[in-house]
Amino acid sequence: MSSMESWDVIVIGAGPAGLAAALAAHGAGARVCIVEREVRPGGILKQCIHDGFGLVRFEQKLSGPEYAWHDIRAVRDAGIQLYTDTFLLQLEREEGFVLTLQNKERAVFQLKARALVAATGCRERTSRQVFIYGQRPAGVYTAGTVQRLINIQGYLPGRRCVILGSGDIGLIMARRLTLEGAEVVGVYEIKAEPSGLSRNIVQCLEDYNIPLHLAQTVTAVHGSERVEGVSICRVGPDLRPIPGTEEYIPCDTLILSVGLIPENDILRPLGVELDRRTGGPRVDQRLHSNVPGLFSCGNALHVNDLVDYVSESGETAGKAAAEFALGGRKTPQRVPLLARGNIQYVVPQYLDLEHNAPAVIYFRGECTLSRVEMHLLSGEKVLMRRRYAVIRPPEMERVVLNPAELTESNEIIISLGG
Amino acid sequence: MTGVRAVHKALNKLGLAGIEVSSRHQAVVLEGEVESWDQYVAAGYAAAGKGFRGVVNDIQVNGLQGDTPYLPPDRDNSLEGEDFDAVIIGGGVVGCAVARELTRWNLRIALVEKEDDVAKQASSRNNGMIHPGLAPSRGTKKLDYNLRGNEMYSQAAAELGFELKRCGSLVLLEKPWYRLFQPAIKAWATKKGVPGIESISRQSVQQREPRVTSRQQGALFLPSTGVVAPYKVTMAYAENAVENGAQVFLNTAVLGFDMDRDRIRGVITNRGVLQSGVVINAAGVWADRVAAYAHDRFFTIHGRKGTIAILDKNTSSLQKYVLGMPQLVSKTHSKGGGVNPTVEGNLLMGPNAVEVPHREDWGTTPQDMEYLVQRLMGLNTSLKRGDIITYFAGVRACTFEEDFIIQPSDSVQNLVHAAGIQSPGLASAPAIAQDVAQMAVNILQRRREVKPNPTFRPQRRVVPDLSRLSFSERAELIRKNPAYGRIVCRCEVISEGEIVDAINGPVPATNLDAIKRRVRAGMGRCQGGFCTPSLVEIVARETGLKPQEVCKGRPGSNLLAAETKAPGREANV
Amino acid sequence: MKTLVCIECPRGCKLEVTRREGKILVSGNRCPRGQGYAERELVNPSRTLTTTVKTSFADFPLLPVRTDGEVPLDSIPALMERINTVQVSRRLLPGDVVMPQLPGTHVALIATAAMTALDTPASGE
Repeated sequence: MSSMESWDVIVIGAGPAGLAAALAAHGAGARVCIVEREVRPGGILKQCIHDGFGLVRFEQKLSGPEYAWHDIRAVRDAGIQLYTDTFLLQLEREEGFVLTLQNKERAVFQLKARALVAATGCRERTSRQVFIYGQRPAGVYTAGTVQRLINIQGYLPGRRCVILGSGDIGLIMARRLTLEGAEVVGVYEIKAEPSGLSRNIVQCLEDYNIPLHLAQTVTAVHGSERVEGVSICRVGPDLRPIPGTEEYIPCDTLILSVGLIPENDILRPLGVELDRRTGGPRVDQRLHSNVPGLFSCGNALHVNDLVDYVSESGETAGKAAAEFALGGRKTPQRVPLLARGNIQYVVPQYLDLEHNAPAVIYFRGECTLSRVEMHLLSGEKVLMRRRYAVIRPPEMERVVLNPAELTESNEIIISLGG
Repeated sequence: MTGVRAVHKALNKLGLAGIEVSSRHQAVVLEGEVESWDQYVAAGYAAAGKGFRGVVNDIQVNGLQGDTPYLPPDRDNSLEGEDFDAVIIGGGVVGCAVARELTRWNLRIALVEKEDDVAKQASSRNNGMIHPGLAPSRGTKKLDYNLRGNEMYSQAAAELGFELKRCGSLVLLEKPWYRLFQPAIKAWATKKGVPGIESISRQSVQQREPRVTSRQQGALFLPSTGVVAPYKVTMAYAENAVENGAQVFLNTAVLGFDMDRDRIRGVITNRGVLQSGVVINAAGVWADRVAAYAHDRFFTIHGRKGTIAILDKNTSSLQKYVLGMPQLVSKTHSKGGGVNPTVEGNLLMGPNAVEVPHREDWGTTPQDMEYLVQRLMGLNTSLKRGDIITYFAGVRACTFEEDFIIQPSDSVQNLVHAAGIQSPGLASAPAIAQDVAQMAVNILQRRREVKPNPTFRPQRRVVPDLSRLSFSERAELIRKNPAYGRIVCRCEVISEGEIVDAINGPVPATNLDAIKRRVRAGMGRCQGGFCTPSLVEIVARETGLKPQEVCKGRPGSNLLAAETKAPGREANV
Repeated sequence: MKTLVCIECPRGCKLEVTRREGKILVSGNRCPRGQGYAERELVNPSRTLTTTVKTSFADFPLLPVRTDGEVPLDSIPALMERINTVQVSRRLLPGDVVMPQLPGTHVALIATAAMTALDTPASGE
C-alpha cells in the first residue's frame, strides 16, 4: 500500500452536504479532500430531476442537478481534491482518523485526517422493515430505486404501480411514472394525513388524477415471479391493520416511500453516540459529535426536507471541522438540549456554551398542531418563544438562538404547547 | 401392534374411521376424504410406525386442489438422446453433493434441476445449522448421517472453500426441574455418539453468553455445532462437480420415466428424453412424485413450512453461540428453532414449523413473524423487531416416518432414493452423498466396469471472495483486475469483479437471485435498494440480454417493464 | 368560492379564491405570489415540466431537462411525446438550450445537468 496522504479535513460524501462542507472547510483555510463512492458527485440530487430546490438559498426553483452543479463547479474551481468511485472500507481513530479506501486506480489506499465530516446521506426503509408479507416477486421497489431506474438509466420498473407512502419521494415518483407512461393506481398512506408537502399533493396527484388513500396500508404482496397485486388494509388510529378490511388491488409494481434512514454504520467503530430518534450522531450546534474531530451534516445527521438546510449544515460542519483541524481546540462546555412536549426531535442535542456564534436549531413536531407556541427554556428562564399557525411533522422548523442567551449551564428544554 | 388393523385403530382414535387402509409393496396406502389438511397430516402420522416401509397417503382433502410442481416454461430437444451414466434429479445440497462425489469416478454425470438455479428451494431457505446430532433418535438414518456428516464438514469446508463456523450451541433449559434430566440427557446423547456434550449451570451460561434470556435454567453445550451459509455450501458442491466434469442443466424438469419393466429406460424431461445407467432421486419436496414415475412410491412427502428472519449485522457482536430453548413436549415435529450467528456476521432467527398443503408455498405471514418475535427473539435480550432486515420461508420435505430414505430402490434396478431430507439434512449432506454415490456406483458396476476419475480434484477452484482477504491481498487483486476495485453492493461490500465471476462461473448465474446466492449482493440491510439497478446493467452487459429481459429469479420475474422513451428518435440536438 | 393550495413554494398556503365583478379575490396567502398563482390557476393552470431526454452518450444516457418557465398543464402529454423524440449528441451544461421553443408555448427546454464524461477527472470539465 502507498504511503498515507494526510489532510486537515476529509469529507465523506460528495452530495450537497459534503460539497458544502468541503467548500466551507477550504474557505476556512483547511487542506480538504472529498471521498465519494459514486462515479459522479452530486449525491441523490443527480436523480432528483424535479424542481423546487434552492428557494431559500438562491431564491430560485431549480432542479436537483442544477442545484448540485452550483457546488460541484465551485469545488472544481477551488481545486478541491475529489476522489470519486472510491469506497470507504474502514474507519479508525488513530491520532485523528485513518480511512482505508479502495478504487480502481489506486487499489487499496489510506488517508489520514485531523477532522472528518460524515456527509453520508440516507438509505431507504425497505418493504421488509415495514413487514409486508408474501413471497418475494420481482416488482417491489423503493421509490429512490425507481427514481434511479427512470431518471438515470431510462427504464420503467413496471406498468401498473401502487405506491405506499405519501412522502415527497412517493408523490414525485407518482407524477414521474405517469409522465413516462406507467399507470399509478393510487398512493396509499398509513397515517390519516399525507406525509409530503401540500404542493406535491397538488402537482403530483391532483394534476394527474391519482387517488390518495389515507389511513390504509399494504399488508401483503401477491405473485411469486412478478408482483400480481397487493392487499390493502384500513388501519386504526394505532396504525394497525383492521381485520376484515382487506382489499385486493391488481398491479405489477409496489413502490415504497416509507421513510429514510441516516447511514452512519461506518462510524460505529469510532464509538460515536447516535440519537435513536434522528438516526444520526448526537451533536452540538457546530455539528460536532461526541468523537473529537468527527462532524456530521446533511441527511446523515437527520432527514431534511429542504436541500438548502442540508447545505447550511454542511457549511457549519465544514467550517467547524476546519477550525478543529487547524488547532482551535477549545474544550467545549456542553449543555443538553432536550426535546419535550410534542417535539419529535431536535438537532443539535447539545449546545456548546463556549461558542459565541448564533446557534441554528432544527426541530419537528410530533403531530400536526395548530396555533402552538414553541418555548426554549433554561431552568425558569425563557430563552425563546415563537408562535406558529401550524406545525406539521413533515415540515421541519428552524430557529436561530442568540449566543448571548446562553449563559447558564442548566439543560435547555424545547417544547411545543397550547 | 402392526399392520392394517393397527392403522385402523390409530385412525379411529382420531375420528377418521372412514379412511380406507390397504397394503401395497409393503407400504400402507390410505385413501378416502377428509375435511382439512390437518386431518390429512394426522392420518399420515397415525399410519406411520406400524410395521410398513412407508405411508402412501392418497387421502383427498375436501375443497383442496391437488398440488403440482412449478415447471419451467421452456420446451426443447436440447438433451434428446443424451446418454449419461448417472442422472441426478434435484439441485439441492444433497443432489449437488452427490454429483460431486460421483465425479470421483470416471462417469458421465448430469444433474437436472427444474428451477432457474441450484439451491433454490429448501437448500437456501434453512438456518444453516450443522447440527450436533442431539435431536434424532437412535436407530434412525437421521442420527447416523447427522453424526457422520457433522464430522465431515471441516474437511468439506477446507476442500470446497466455504466458511464453517463451529461456534457450538447452547440448548437452554426452560424450567428448573429440567436440570434433573440434564445428566440423563447428557449420558444418552453421549451414548448416541454426540461428541463433547457438557452440562452447564445457569451462571455459567450467563457468563458465556451475557445477553442470554434470564428465563434459562442452565444448558447443554454442544461444541460440534456449526453454522454455514447453506446456499454457498450447495453452490460449492455444484461448482466442484462441474469442475470435475459433471454437467448441470437448469430449467430442466423430469416429467416422467420410460420404464422397461423394472428398469428406467429413459428420463423424460422438458428438453427431451435422456438415457441413464442410474437415476438418483434427490427431488426434495417432489421426491415421492419422482418415485411414482418409476412405480416405486412407497412414501409420501408432505410440506412443513419454516420462516426465518435475518437480523442486521450490528447485532452480531451480541451473541456467540447458537441458542435454542426447545420445549420438552413439542406440538410439532420440528425442533422449535432458535437464534443463530451466521458466517457473514448476521444473526438469524427461526425457523418455525407449519404444515402446508402446497409444497412450494414460500409466502411469509404475520403469524409466522409473531412466532419468531414472541418465542425466539427473546433468547437474546438485546434483540428487537427493528433489527430485522429481511425474512423468507422454505418448505421442508417430510415423510410421515420422519426419517431419511437413503437406499437403492427395492423394485427398480437402477434407481437410488435420497428422499425425505429435512433437518438435519444440511448437516448430513456430506455423508448422504458419500453413501448415495457408492450405491449408484454399485448399481453401475453390475453391468460395466467403473474406474476412478484420474483427474478428480477435491479442491474447488479459488474464486476471489474479497471479504475473506486482507487489505493487501485485496489490493493485489484489484491491481490485476480493476473490476474488483469498484464496489457495487455497498451493504455487503461486493465488487463488480466478484459479480462478473458469479455470472461467468461454472454454474453460471443468469439472474439476480442467482448472483445473490453466490456472492450475497442484495442480502444487506438495504435489500438491493442501491445495487439492483447496477446489477441489472451488469447482467445485461455480461449476458447480452436486454435490461428489460433480466430476471430476479424464474422466467417471468423480469425486473423492468420497458425503456422509457419511444424508439425511433428524430430530432438531434 | 374555491379552495386552492398554492404551489409557488414549499409552504403550501391554503388559498380561498372568489371571482367578483371580473376580479379574482385571494385570501390565505402568506406572501404576494399567492395572488398571481391563484389568478393563473383559475384561468390557465400551468406548470414547470421536468423530465429527461435521451442522449447518444453511453456514460450519460439521459439528460435531465426542464421547461424554462411554465407550460399549460393540459399541454403536458403532447409535450412529453415531442420531448421523447429528442436525442442530445453534444455534452451540455445546465442552462444550455435543448429545444428553443416547445410547440405551442413561449418556453424553451433547457438542460439541468452537466454531461461530464467519465474519462475526464470529475473535478474538471
